[in-house]
Amino acid sequence: MRTAIDKTMQNQLVAIAAQLDVLEKGLSQHFPRREPTVRAARRLNGASGILSMSVLADSGIEHYRGSFENKAMFTPLVMSALSLAVSAHGTADSRPDAHRIRDAVYAAAALTGVVGTGFHVYNVLKRPGRLSWQNLFYGAPLGAPMAILLSGLLGVYSERLRDDRGASPTVFGLPAGRTLAALTGAGLLGTAGEAGLLHFRGAYHNPFMYAPVTIPPVAAGLLGAAAAGFSGRTRWLTRWWLRLTALLGFAGAGFHAYGVSRNMGGWRNWRQTVLNGPPLPAPPSFTGLALAGLAALGLLEDHTDA
Amino acid sequence: MSDDPLLSPRAKAGRAPDVFAPGGWIPMHAYREDEAVDFVIVGTGAGGGTLACKLAEAGFSVVAMDAGPYFRPLEDFASDESEQTKLYWTDDRIVDGENPLQMGSNNSGKAVGGSTVHFAMVSLRFRPEWFRSRTLLGYGADWPLDWREMWRYYAKVEQALKIAGPVTYPWGPPRPRYPYRAHEMNAAALALARGCEAMGIGWTETPLATLSAPRGRAHPCVYRGFCTTGCSTNAKQSALVTWIPRAIAAGAEIRDLAMVGRVEVNDAGRATGVHYHREGGWRFQKARNVVVAGYAIETPRLLLNSATSRFPDGLANSSGLVGKNLMAQSNQAVWGISKDEIRSYKGPPSLAITEHWNYDDNKDFFGGYSYMSQGPLPQLWANTQMSARGLWGDSLMAEMERYNHVVGLKIVGEMLPQESNRVTLADAKDQYGLPIARITYSWSENDRALIDHSLRFMARALEAIDAREIWTQDDDTCHLNGTARMGGDPRTSVVDADCRSWDIRNLWICDGSVFPTVGGVNPSLTIQAIACRTGDRIKALAALGDL
Ligand SMILES: Cc1cc2nc3c(=O)[nH]c(=O)nc-3n(C[C@H](O)[C@H](O)[C@H](O)COP(=O)(O)OP(=O)(O)OC[C@H]3O[C@@H](n4cnc5c(N)ncnc54)[C@H](O)[C@@H]3O)c2cc1C
Ligand code: SF4
Repeated sequence: MRTAIDKTMQNQLVAIAAQLDVLEKGLSQHFPRREPTVRAARRLNGASGILSMSVLADSGIEHYRGSFENKAMFTPLVMSALSLAVSAHGTADSRPDAHRIRDAVYAAAALTGVVGTGFHVYNVLKRPGRLSWQNLFYGAPLGAPMAILLSGLLGVYSERLRDDRGASPTVFGLPAGRTLAALTGAGLLGTAGEAGLLHFRGAYHNPFMYAPVTIPPVAAGLLGAAAAGFSGRTRWLTRWWLRLTALLGFAGAGFHAYGVSRNMGGWRNWRQTVLNGPPLPAPPSFTGLALAGLAALGLLEDHTDA
Repeated sequence: MSDDPLLSPRAKAGRAPDVFAPGGWIPMHAYREDEAVDFVIVGTGAGGGTLACKLAEAGFSVVAMDAGPYFRPLEDFASDESEQTKLYWTDDRIVDGENPLQMGSNNSGKAVGGSTVHFAMVSLRFRPEWFRSRTLLGYGADWPLDWREMWRYYAKVEQALKIAGPVTYPWGPPRPRYPYRAHEMNAAALALARGCEAMGIGWTETPLATLSAPRGRAHPCVYRGFCTTGCSTNAKQSALVTWIPRAIAAGAEIRDLAMVGRVEVNDAGRATGVHYHREGGWRFQKARNVVVAGYAIETPRLLLNSATSRFPDGLANSSGLVGKNLMAQSNQAVWGISKDEIRSYKGPPSLAITEHWNYDDNKDFFGGYSYMSQGPLPQLWANTQMSARGLWGDSLMAEMERYNHVVGLKIVGEMLPQESNRVTLADAKDQYGLPIARITYSWSENDRALIDHSLRFMARALEAIDAREIWTQDDDTCHLNGTARMGGDPRTSVVDADCRSWDIRNLWICDGSVFPTVGGVNPSLTIQAIACRTGDRIKALAALGDL
């Protein structure tokens, strides 16, 4: 039974990997050859979209669980939905210029992340025990709003890339490829940190729970090396490791679905078990960030001094 | 044949219920009655269930009997307080003394798994000094056990039950990290925490024997709060779903609905087996060793009921201490009404605790107490209102309307051993024709001083969080221990450190009865730690040819 599940899971992973590859190749074929920067920008729109999707579903479920006690709890839903929409638009848009509405939505999404973090910190600090494990585990998750911040940042970044007219793209005066590599590396580390905290809460009762605290940090390290300009020779490794991380995001959702089934009543009782079990939409944020990392690598490849 | 577990035994004919699968079975060894097994164990609760597992895993042949039924938690447990009274030992008993104990739901179970089937899962370690309370603290009696050794066994039990506890425990010497993380605190627990912070004392999440993450085929807790009426998800790590399946897998046989009425002793003064009642008749199981683990009332009752001409005062009773030094724990509470909704019944009843007064010796009485947040189920709550405050009719209805706003704190307090608090035999007989237990209990001055201190302190803690209409519930007890104390001297104790009776060397007692003192924490973790140690000791003694 167990091995049968493992087998189907394996098969699914292989299938997803193949699709990712096709997706990547397909995307690059559709991108106009003359504008590698726009290609990177569109990839970033895609990455931001996946992150927004993860935020939309995750904050939807979690804030529903919290009965939308505070009206502000609707904000991340609205913002991530908007961010998702403009990301879809951006991914399809091969014009080289930034788009005002997209830009504004992305900026607002990033702002939502900052304000949300503030709310979550406040929620934790007002509970008895303050910054205790109890509150880190069960208070408002401190790291969660970071995901929408990251999705907004990637979007803003993508718009700045489109604006860039120089030979080697820069964003806010910094080399675009490297900065993006550093940003996604940091995002991966933060997300791994949150997975680590929540998996610690689950006492790492399943060995696969170690995956998101080992694979993404390595990816972050490789991206860090790329950002620092060390990774010329190991770029293939970085690329493959990022692809692995992207896969992990999908696989994680599968594992979480299995985790849901282990609660009383299993999937038949999904109304409760989806709320009480591991969050289904959380792991795909790794996919979003890994795709952003791949975009950064693309920039670095197209412009060695980016 | 009926499938009512209260009417006909389920564990027989080579199989026992699989508690993890509706309608499922697991294979079980079946021993012959006329061939002596290495160990027959009377009672399958915290003491007996654990020891059955340890002995079977050590390779001994084991038959463990319980007077109660073999429940299937996934199917047999209803979310209904009245229905679930089937878990309790409600056979007749006589209670007297100045403070007669109320017997039944609050202190004794009758089921495979014993009282752990309906216990509240609080799993605490003793304060190290309590093992030598006479020498170090000036009261009670010393245990013949070293706290460091117990510390190791506590860790083993915590692992075996995947106790969910705080990342670091604020009191006592360091302990390893609890295997599972603490549960989310409910509003009642947060109220305890706020009160403690206002009073300037520490608090933490209560280490609980219920899962905060999946484990094997057991589901994590769903926080519905029916714990003390039996957990229907198997999140609760009772003996029924932990030690017992392990024991059976290792070759032990469990016999449910098997009431032991007498331990047989031969002329040479050795136990030879037990007479037990099952399926309408008395039967006899031969054994090379007998372990009595029926809890602090039934254990002395069985020993006294097994008297022979050679042992006219009952078995293992040359010290005269069998049945004496019965200790309940004080279980008083302070209640109030909170402005906010608390809905304290959500989740396990005691999610937060303070052990401050167990570790602070600046008090004018002996012993200590912990106090915990509370979550009484509705029927229990209505009963409390009726018995403690005399509410009935409209006033009871009005009070119950406020059930969702009730917030309370309750102690587990140390009561001192007194020989006058004891279990003896009454003339009346039970349904098996066996003399029933008479339980005599009176509080000492020290017991009262401790209770007063706790009630005053907890009332202030509730006031500090703006609870209104605070009242005290000052007559409640829980957890029974003592009545066959362990010690280093046959004149002043019934069993030695290995739970082996001084008088009959193949008769063992392994349950809450062996406690010389009770401390201010719930006892089951200590009972299980002692049982694990006893299992190891028996294995070692067997290897030395000393059984
Ligand atoms: C409502 C409630 C809540 C509790 N909460 C906690 C808690 O949170 N934490 C904690 O540590 N402790 C708690 N306890 C106490 C704990 O359950 C007991 O201390 C512990 O289970 C006692 O273990 P034992 O082995 O001595 O006896 P038990 O676990 O009671 O087992 C004794 C078994 O022996 C059987 N038996 C007795 N006599 C005979 C006989 N003659 N023949 C056959 N079988 C017999 C009985 O049927 C019973 O199943 C609670 C108890 C109750 C009632
Ligand atoms: S609250 Fe948890 S431990 Fe208690 S009965 Fe429900 S599932 Fe079992």
